[in-house]
Parts: sequence; structure tokens; C-alpha cells
Amino acid sequence: MNAGIGRVLAKLVPGKRWGVIAIPYLWMLLFFAIPFLIVLRISFSMRDQTSSPPYTPIIEYIDNAVTMKLNLSHYATLVTDSLYVQAYGSSLWIAAVSTLLALLIGYPMAYVISRLSPSARNVAMMLVVLPSWTSFLIRVYAWVGILKNNGLLNGLLMKLGIIEEPLKILYTPLATYIGIVYCYLPFMILPLYTNLVKHDNRLLEAAYDLGAKPWQAFLKITLPLSRAGIIAGCMLVMIPAVGEYVIPEMLGGPDTLMIGRQLVNDFSAATDWPRASAVAISMLLLLLVPILIFNRVQQREMEGKLT
Amino acid sequence: MGTGHTSNDKDTEDYLRIVDVRKEFDGFVAVEDTNLSIRKGEIFALLGGSGCGKSTLLRCLGGFERPTSGKIYLDGQLMNDLPPYERPINMMFQSYALFPHMTVAQNIAFGPKQDGMPKQQIEARVTEMLKLVQMEKYAQRKPHQLSGGQQQRVALARSLAKGPKLLLLDEPMGALDKKLRSQMQLELVSIIEKSGVTCVMVTHDQEEAMTMATRIALMDSGRIRQVATPDEIYESPTSRFAAEFIGSVNMIEGRIEEDMKDYVTIRAPQLPDVIYVGHGISGYEGQDVAFAVRPEKVQISKEEPAQPHNKARGKIEDIAYFGSHSVFHVRLPTGFKMMANFANQERWASEGMTWGDEVWVCWGENEGVVLTT
Repeated sequence: MNAGIGRVLAKLVPGKRWGVIAIPYLWMLLFFAIPFLIVLRISFSMRDQTSSPPYTPIIEYIDNAVTMKLNLSHYATLVTDSLYVQAYGSSLWIAAVSTLLALLIGYPMAYVISRLSPSARNVAMMLVVLPSWTSFLIRVYAWVGILKNNGLLNGLLMKLGIIEEPLKILYTPLATYIGIVYCYLPFMILPLYTNLVKHDNRLLEAAYDLGAKPWQAFLKITLPLSRAGIIAGCMLVMIPAVGEYVIPEMLGGPDTLMIGRQLVNDFSAATDWPRASAVAISMLLLLLVPILIFNRVQQREMEGKLT
Repeated sequence: MGTGHTSNDKDTEDYLRIVDVRKEFDGFVAVEDTNLSIRKGEIFALLGGSGCGKSTLLRCLGGFERPTSGKIYLDGQLMNDLPPYERPINMMFQSYALFPHMTVAQNIAFGPKQDGMPKQQIEARVTEMLKLVQMEKYAQRKPHQLSGGQQQRVALARSLAKGPKLLLLDEPMGALDKKLRSQMQLELVSIIEKSGVTCVMVTHDQEEAMTMATRIALMDSGRIRQVATPDEIYESPTSRFAAEFIGSVNMIEGRIEEDMKDYVTIRAPQLPDVIYVGHGISGYEGQDVAFAVRPEKVQISKEEPAQPHNKARGKIEDIAYFGSHSVFHVRLPTGFKMMANFANQERWASEGMTWGDEVWVCWGENEGVVLTT
């Protein structure tokens, strides 16, 4: 009898094994799912500057009736207000161009590093990652010093006689691109390197053996086999770059429109929490769609096409 | 053993010529000045232990390594300066190096495509190759969906698809388990013979070399020690190394006592009497030599053999039972251990002899080889 109860209890009470498995789920629940739901809820309420926090509740209990009022006006604004449409468009554009630039710079770097001797590889990867150990803010500030009119770059170019007037780079979109590419380059290089370093050199030899010149072997063997690394690198750069706030704020000047800046503006200057929340939610959805598509493509590739 | 096909001798001699080829890596000599001539249609094996230089020599042929000096001619054409992608030579790599992102058909089509062959011709070629290796059903599979043996066939088909003048096989059976090996060895040979391509293979497995190759070059520390057919290299090794590398052998050190025109005697401290060899050799009296006799050439009996020479008495110390035969290890009074095979032609025939028994070992006067190097 007792043993029977014990067995039932043992089945109901999760074991230690489940505790370990539960930790990441608990983490996701606490730091992703719950905050997400809070923000989602705020995005459906109305702005109310008299209350604190400054928005109305969406569920009310009046006259024995529970009423839930979902206010969709903020989402409607995002679509109708040209400012938001432009901010989204320009964010996506800036992120996409930066990602492409990071790929064009990062791929050759990762490729060369993966061909080095194992000890040289570690040193090179260290050099790639090392700058990330200093504060992000300080690194972006450093670019102000480099790019400004009487900064390091202009000073050098003028001293060399390449230009006569200082170039205006700081507070232009170009500075934003430079900042984003610089800051996110390690995130492009790391997954590419991890992929490329695993490549079997014999595959290239087999390609040469079958008549492929080195560049043909690269296009037909190395590039397709590094697809997963390219996708991972692009995702790691593109996703945070879309919502980037600090870099366009510090380097981009007032006319560099990005959704992250708009969000901060709505949240703090305009104290319109519901609208800021709607911006955040739609940004997330905007990025979620491509992530899911990429995931599916990758999974299908892993399974292989069975015929 | 040996597949024993003969090649047409006229204008086929020296199809592949390796002349004084030497390869050094940072002062380390991987291949010493090597000369080899390989006939058209031959399956030639480079046999040796790891680090003997066989793979380096093969990579020199494939164009993946440049010889430090020397020349390689194929069909009269100098190969040295050609990169791998311009050589009419294809290689089946160790563990195959199939392109994982391509189907079987795409893998095979890779070579012909690089040649700029028209699409229809490529398709026909791929079909032909798939048929040759009996893999028609698997054309649309990816390499990771195939078994080891199937991958090997695809790799072979891919390396034959361009119709190379020379096929290189790098440890062709290295990635297969033992049972599949012996089956694939003969199958590979039949496919290669069907395609008629000249073939150089590298292996560390003497059995594989003996089964597949028409001729074998035995290599040791960067040098070729002997080039011969499988039966020659087994029956007439020219050095202690060759005798010991291939098969097992009783190696008896001694000194020539009588060097006559039609017989030789060797005084060996390990044996009670002189060794009598029933033919002349190119040596001199007093020369240090080794006498090598294979265990299956040594007879074992309880009674003293009638022959006057080449016999010794000893005690059975070990019996290794192999099913088809048993190997008796007989300890002679001098301490020397002699191996003698006993063919198990009759069930329980060897029952009469067991551990500790006093027995006689003997061998015929022409059954051993006198080695001077």
C-alpha cells in the first residue's frame, strides 16, 4: 500500500533530472515570456499621463462585468504614420546593408583565420574578440574621435595630401554603417570561423583533382558548405542591428532614422508607453518571421532530401 | 593470390615513369630518389608501414605535392609542372572525400562538368558510371545516406568519370570493416579492369596488396625495397625487411660455410647442424647472411625425418589454432623458436602433438631463401 503511494508520488514529483532540464525553460519564462506578455499588454492600452505607470488598464471590472478593451490604435498608427513606416524601412535597410558589408569583410577574415596553423588561429580569434571586452559605449565614442572633422582619419588623410578639406563623415548615415559593421563584425566572424575551420581539406583536393581551379572549388565546395555559417552570422548581425539605438544616436546625426531611436523617443520624451510597446512588439514580429523561415530551411537541409 | 592478368607488352612498357623522384619536408626526406616504371593497365601497389613515404609518393603523382627533384612522366608527358586540376589523373581519396552537399549523381558529374562536357553527355556518362558500380538506384541520395561500401563505389565512379589515364587509390579499404574489405577488394579490381585504367594504389595491408595488385613495390623509410609480383615477393623476398614484412617467417642468422656452384651450407649458431641450400647463390664464404623459411614450408613430426640435413629437435611451446591450420612454436635447445604450420586437412589430425612434446622440425633444401641484405 505504502509502496504503491510512493510509486505514484515518484511519478508525480519530478526528479532531479527534470530540475536540470527546467532551468533553461524557467529562464525563458522569467526573462522572455513574462516581459514579452507585459509589453504586449501595454501595447493594447491607452496612454494616460495622469496615472502611474502612464497607461490605462485593459481589463476592468465595472458593474459586475469584466470588460477587456484592446486598443489597436497604436498598431494602426505604425502602418499609417509615414514616420514609423520610414523608420522601419530605413532600419531594415541600414541593418541589411551593414550585414552585407560585415559579411564581405568577415568572410575573408574568417576564411584566412581558419587556414592558419592551430596556434596562430587562436591568437587571431583572440584579436577578433578582444575589442568586445571593452565597453561598447566607449568603442562607439572612440569612433566619434576618429571620424569627426578634426579627428584622426581626416587629420591623417590631410597630412598625406589625399584630401584638402576634411570629409564630413560623422553624423551621416555612413558613420552609422561604419559603427554597426565595426561593432557587430565579431558576431559575423565567429560562426563563419566555426563553420570554416571544420571543413575537410580533402574535399578541396578532391575538387582540384576532378578539374576545378582553386576559385571554382571555392565557389562549388567551400561556399555552399559554409551556408549555415553565413546564415548564422547574418542573423547575429542583422537582428540586433535592426533595433540598434546607441550607434545611430551617437554617430548618425539627427536625420538617421531608425526604429530604435523612435522607440526611445516615444518611451521617454513623449512618455507614450503603449505606442513604444507597439513599436517593440511589431519589431519583434518583423524579425521573428525571417528567423523562422531560416530555421525551417536549415532544418530541411539537415534532414536531407529523401526520395 | 594475385589477379594475374597479363598486359600487352608492346608500347605499353613504362606508361607511368617515376624518375629519381625525391621529396623533402623541411629537411626530412619523405621519399628518397625513387625510380619506378608502371605498365599500362596495371594495378600497382605501393605497400609499406605508416611513414614509409608511400602516401607522399602518391600525392606527388596526384599533384598535391611537388617533388623536390626528379621527374614524373605519364604516357610520355611530363607531369611535374601540372597542377592537379590539369592532370589526366584522378584519385579515390582515403575515406572518399565525397562532396556532402551534392547527390551521388552530382558528385559523379562534378569532373565531367569541369571539363565543360555538354549536359546530355554528362548525364549519359553519369548513368554509365552508376551502372558500372551498380549504384543506379542511389543516384539522388546524399553521401551520408549511403553505407561505407556504397560510398566507396560512388567515390570510385567519381574518380573514373573523367576517364583518367591514371587512377590513384589511397588506402581504398581503410574505411571499411574487415568482412566487407575482402569482398570489395575483388569487386574493385573487377571494376578497374573493366574500365581498363592504369592504377596505382597505396596500402599498408599486405593482404590487400597481394589480392588486388599485379605488382607490388615494397617501401620502407622512403625507399623502395623490392618491386615484384605478389607471389614473387612472397616466395623470393630479396631482403630481411621484405621477408619479414610480408607474411610470417623463420629468420635464422648465420654465415656461409661452403659456397659451391650447386649448393651452399650455412653455419647458424641457432641450429644444431648446418643449413643445406640445394642451389648456388651469389655470395662468398664467410659472408653473414640470413636464412628465411616460411612456417608452411616447415614440417613437424614426432619421428625423426629421413633427410640428412635441415632438421632439428625441439619442444612444442605454443600452439596457435587458426581453423584452417595451426601454427606450432617449437623451442630448439639453443633457445631459438621455430614456427611450423600444420594444415588441418583431417579433423583432429594434430591431436597427437601437444604442449611440451618433443618433436622434429625439418624443411626441404630448396624451401628457404638466403638473404644477404
